[in-house]
Amino acid sequence: MARRKTPEPTANNLALFVCVIAWAVPGAGHLWLGRTQKGVVLLAALPLMFAIGLWLEGQIFSVDLFQPLVALAALADLGIGVACLLAQGMGLGEGRVVAVTYEYGNTFLVVAGLLNMLVVLDAYDIARGRA
Amino acid sequence: MTSHFGLLIVFSGFVALTFAVLMRDQPVSQLRFGFTLLAWLVGVAVVFGWLMYAFPL
Repeated sequence: MARRKTPEPTANNLALFVCVIAWAVPGAGHLWLGRTQKGVVLLAALPLMFAIGLWLEGQIFSVDLFQPLVALAALADLGIGVACLLAQGMGLGEGRVVAVTYEYGNTFLVVAGLLNMLVVLDAYDIARGRA
Repeated sequence: MTSHFGLLIVFSGFVALTFAVLMRDQPVSQLRFGFTLLAWLVGVAVVFGWLMYAFPL
């Protein structure tokens, strides 16, 4: 019977660390792993997309378990990392429902977070030597 | 900026850029993949938008 190979703790820790910094700052995980070109592009693109969402008067949602779709949107918003927390701390992302661009802004904010989640997964794969 | 088409292009540009960077390693491949994806995203949105004229709310 073949024994399953247990991953080394250091490799796991490194991968988890990379995930955390990749979530906190888009592109930071790739930069940390030496993928400079990818890291720089992601570092520029995703925060800019998030900022455009704020400029379009989108809303950063709060987690509300009684409204599942709002809770999912809040989780997606959080995907962009520290930028989301900073924006909330600065009072940005209140959203103006009557603004023409409100829904566009929401879309930019949510998708920026979701794209950064994909970036985190990619950084994890690279850290584990799968990409 | 309130142009739906303009925002569609900007949004598609960010999505295409991110996927191109994640899915391709070489800059030339990234450019090719990114512009192809951008064209598909914008093209499909325009076609679906045009088709929706047949189904007014």
